[in-house]
Amino acid sequence: MMKRRYFLKCLGCGAVLTATSQTGLIPGIIGGIQNAWALDFTHELSDMEARYYKKLENGGVECILCPRHCRVTDLERGYCGVRENRKDVYHTLVYGRPCAVNIDPIEKKPLFHFYPGTTAFSLATAGCNCNCKFCQNYDISQSRPEQTDNMNLPPEEIVSSCLSRKVPIIAYTYSEPVIFYEYMYDTAKLGREKGIKSVMITGGYIEKDPLADLLNHLDAVKVDLKAIRDGYYKNIVDSELRPILNAILQIKKAGVWLELVYLVVPTLNDSESEFKDLASWIKTNLGLDTPLHFSRFYPQYLLKDLPPTPEKTLQMAHDICRAEGLEYVYLGNLPRHPAESTYCPKCGKVLIERAGYRILQNNLKGNYCSYCGHEIPGRY
Amino acid sequence: MYNIDMSRVIVVKWADRNHRRDFTTEEYKTLIDYGLRKLAGSDSVSGAVSKCLPVGVIGFKTNCLARKFNSTPVALCDALAETLGKCGFEENDIIIWDRSNDELEKAGFKLNASSFGRRCFGTNSNGVGYSRDFYSSGKVNSLVSRILTDLVNHNINLPILKDHSIAGLSGGLKNMYGAINNPNKYHIPNCDPYAAHISNLKPIKSKNRLTIIDAVRIQYHFGPGFDNRYLDYYNGLILSDDPVAADRVALEILEYFRRLHNLPSLEQDNRPVKYLDSASAIGLGESRLENIIIDTAVIDSDGRASTGELL
Repeated sequence: MMKRRYFLKCLGCGAVLTATSQTGLIPGIIGGIQNAWALDFTHELSDMEARYYKKLENGGVECILCPRHCRVTDLERGYCGVRENRKDVYHTLVYGRPCAVNIDPIEKKPLFHFYPGTTAFSLATAGCNCNCKFCQNYDISQSRPEQTDNMNLPPEEIVSSCLSRKVPIIAYTYSEPVIFYEYMYDTAKLGREKGIKSVMITGGYIEKDPLADLLNHLDAVKVDLKAIRDGYYKNIVDSELRPILNAILQIKKAGVWLELVYLVVPTLNDSESEFKDLASWIKTNLGLDTPLHFSRFYPQYLLKDLPPTPEKTLQMAHDICRAEGLEYVYLGNLPRHPAESTYCPKCGKVLIERAGYRILQNNLKGNYCSYCGHEIPGRY
Repeated sequence: MYNIDMSRVIVVKWADRNHRRDFTTEEYKTLIDYGLRKLAGSDSVSGAVSKCLPVGVIGFKTNCLARKFNSTPVALCDALAETLGKCGFEENDIIIWDRSNDELEKAGFKLNASSFGRRCFGTNSNGVGYSRDFYSSGKVNSLVSRILTDLVNHNINLPILKDHSIAGLSGGLKNMYGAINNPNKYHIPNCDPYAAHISNLKPIKSKNRLTIIDAVRIQYHFGPGFDNRYLDYYNGLILSDDPVAADRVALEILEYFRRLHNLPSLEQDNRPVKYLDSASAIGLGESRLENIIIDTAVIDSDGRASTGELL
């Protein structure tokens, strides 16, 4: 087994380092670890049997983890690129093989109503079950695991590291955690046993049964609801809207803390009617107190020909949703904008003042506004 | 005289229909030399090679997905390399390649990244990897192996003819999935139009000079992995400078074996090979059989060639 051991020293929280690849691989993200940290790199992929697949009568397997339901014959992989059929046994190749590890503020996810001001041990493997044309982590999400520099980091090591460094949360993020389901599931389960919380940052393209099982071990989920139109999902995300709305409803019903992000992409999902429909759907199905983050788009990956989202468009989205009655509407990637902060829907006072990922003041008392006593939803 | 608007495909077969084993290097060499001469319309192999392949570093893109039993044979590459060697190509100017070292080794190839002898390595080798920039064609956006973008001047596509559970046909166009970083994104439905668009990516289209499809042993069902319940022997090679026409002829052969073994056609099996028409529509080559001139030759054990039937 080929291994390299890297030692990183005292990296600042939130910093991102890129591994200098000696292999010609697409480099992963290895950084932001606060203290000296030994990382085991390995060229070996995992060969654990995957969960949520069925064998087909005439050979091959059908993956039932996500709604794509890839039918995969011997030696081939599913759309995600990290699950492979080997003699009709489906394998995950990325169990314990993250290519991106970092300690981030929880606000970076963004989760604004979930233990504000804390940090999360954040990790991702290669692969994704979608192909968003605006992906900001496409170098790992659109790669196969043999194309990234991967670490050997089993769940036990993550949890023990979190305990020793007093990091209270593990975030499965950056690419799409659904595709490293087994790794996420086992880590979250073990983490909960040891008092570490787990949050999933996802596009929500997952089947009902695996999501139900996973929700038993998660504390919060942030879903990137990328649009409220199926055409956008088909053309820009290479996915479909309905299963994602169903997953959001399922998360809400399970009582796991939920926040939504909507990346506003100029000309593609930024019309007044879309913002109205989005607000209406949230109001009807999730409730007015569901946090919604509008995020500013910057040209990336396959959408480099579009401009960044104009601030006035984001403001319009914000105003439409507030007028519809949504109580916690945020604007992201707009540093110092007042809509980065949390306001009490009853008295209007600033509850949590933010500047980027920093908390400037926190006026909550537990789950309540310290000024008027109004209950603020979330986990604090 | 051939109509210059038509594509040409050369099919060279072994005369002995009872030949049911893998070919030796010598046997491959006989077929390759004849096929190249016929394709180039040249009396000599060196004349044919100089017509088909400009001077430079030549890549042999293999298909090693299915390990030793169902991958591009080492003997085929040896034979082709020997032929090129005799035509003035330096050994070190030949790079046998595929996606990964592991797949090449499991298919029987000996890795060599040194500056001596014939080279052989995968895109995942030290210092190789994929292009920094994305290449786009239609619905495909991919990084392309640096072997193709940076290391070779020209490429010979050396697929093995086999059935594919999604694409229907795995031939030359499908083989180029092994040249990009994200092949898993481009399979459903039936690899159409992706197989066409991948071969239309600039580095692939501009460097592929020749397709030689190994049709010695055919996995006519349950491909692309190896399944010995569905194997038969055609004992031939398909050569063309038109990648679409080569695949179109390969499809005829694949469908013939499926009929022979009472299997439904690929279309009836919900795996229509539509990507050939998509490839034709974007100008990659000719997918209509009526516009393809197929020269079939049969070679006997003494190396004598005679005209034969495709099926």
